[in-house]
Amino acid sequence: MSIIEVTNLTKFYGKSRGIVDVSFSEEEGEIFGFIGPNGAGKSTTIRLLLSLIHPTSGSAKVFGKDVVTHGPEIRRDIGYLPSEVFYYEGMKVIELLKYSASFYGKDCTERLHELSEYMELELNRRISDLSYGNKKKVGIVQGLLHSPKLLFLDEPTSGLDPLMQRKFFDLIRKENARGVTVFFSSHILGEVQRLCNRVGIIREGKIVEISDIRTLQQNNYKKVNVTADGLNPATFDLPGVNNLQTEDGTLHFFFKGDINAVLQKISTIQVADVTIEEPTLEEIFMHYYE
Amino acid sequence: MNIFLRELKANLKSLLIWSAIIILLIFMAGAKYSAFAGDPEMLKMLDSMPKALLDALSMSAFNLTTISGFYGVMFIYFALMAAIAAAMWGSDSISKEERDKTVEFSLVLPVTRSRVVTAKGLAALVNCVVFVLITWVVSLVAVQSYNPDQVFYNFLALEMQAMFVIELIFLAIGLLLGCAMKQYKRSGSTAVAIILTAYFLSIVSVMNEKLDFLKYFTPFKFFDAAALLQSGKLDATYLLLSAAIIIVCVAAAYWSYNKRDLYI
Repeated sequence: MSIIEVTNLTKFYGKSRGIVDVSFSEEEGEIFGFIGPNGAGKSTTIRLLLSLIHPTSGSAKVFGKDVVTHGPEIRRDIGYLPSEVFYYEGMKVIELLKYSASFYGKDCTERLHELSEYMELELNRRISDLSYGNKKKVGIVQGLLHSPKLLFLDEPTSGLDPLMQRKFFDLIRKENARGVTVFFSSHILGEVQRLCNRVGIIREGKIVEISDIRTLQQNNYKKVNVTADGLNPATFDLPGVNNLQTEDGTLHFFFKGDINAVLQKISTIQVADVTIEEPTLEEIFMHYYE
Repeated sequence: MNIFLRELKANLKSLLIWSAIIILLIFMAGAKYSAFAGDPEMLKMLDSMPKALLDALSMSAFNLTTISGFYGVMFIYFALMAAIAAAMWGSDSISKEERDKTVEFSLVLPVTRSRVVTAKGLAALVNCVVFVLITWVVSLVAVQSYNPDQVFYNFLALEMQAMFVIELIFLAIGLLLGCAMKQYKRSGSTAVAIILTAYFLSIVSVMNEKLDFLKYFTPFKFFDAAALLQSGKLDATYLLLSAAIIIVCVAAAYWSYNKRDLYI
């Protein structure tokens, strides 16, 4: 069964564009990555699915129910971690979590403490005293404490330090292994690649591509920088090399294909420095518009 | 129930501040009255003032040297304060969630928007009830030294009932503004603008006979203190009109809040 089913969903805020004609679906147990630059319409899509805003046209179903007419029922089984977390400032962390738990009609106490301990969250601090990263941790616990069947994560890692990011990803994987479906929105390709089975790419409000993560990676470019004395650009005249440029003794190019071919070439010269990195999302988009 | 209780707690500070202001007003008024109390000279001086001015300040109908008369003049100030407080509680309880961006938390919980409006409306209503009771009790304490008669007690009870109805009207208007207005920053100031306009209309309506019809447009004239003192009851027509305003505003509040996009 499709957990999320979006059909020709369109949202305009007055005259300004939110999303246009977006269609996709997500199956049960999937981790679906939703990537695109800021302002592409990622949050708009999520807010439509949570019925915080209403569509201009088109429709969306979650758990097979229409989001406009069945919002509260759907949200019973949804966990949501917004990109920026805002809670009632005057409350203590524990008060807020208990308040949140009180809406789901089941005992979440054990889960609450388990999650807080795992995320190293101090329960007796006031929300207003928390740093951005700590608020995010409250968000993670609050989003998960009622054991939802579907998780919406909107740029979840911003504000978390690398160690916490890793714990967080482990947590999401564990949840997913228990059957939780995850909708993961991000502008960082790397984290989407680490976690997701399938991705949708959104740009200027429209879906550009929906594909398997492996296909995307195979089609993907690596960005290679090589620094060496007396570098000859002709060395890297290989199939799959693109956009070759020399700048201050450093060679930059994009490469698509078997990375071993490049490594072999590199091993033949005396290099001062080498980096091979993921292209930024913008660079991938350039690729999509070639 | 959980939203209601949280809301009560969140509103407590505002209730305490408004209560402190009204208590201060009552005691200051009490101190002022001691200058008027039973002083015929004062009466003469007031009689020599232009009638239009006295009308505007709704002082012409009252004998300021009696405690009932004095409270009659004070009524409009209680009503104004109650109106502003109630409208603020109504509009703020809804719009603050958008202002503080907590709406992305509170409305992702499995609740209907109607349930949120109900809980918040009821919490604001509790504030209104407490506010009237405090005004009532403090008034009783403040005038004890003037040995008020039964007429005063009845009149005060009537005034407090009228004040409560005015609170309900403006609570409903405030709730509607909070629910309907997407520009959450403006709902509070719009509420105050409506109240001041209503107050202005209530002054203008007594200045000229031709403007008498304006009294139907301002809740402050629905329950005129002078009429209350004379008739000893709340006017049924105006009670019906009040009920109609309240019902329409509350219904519109639910309708618009369910329909509109939340501002995030």
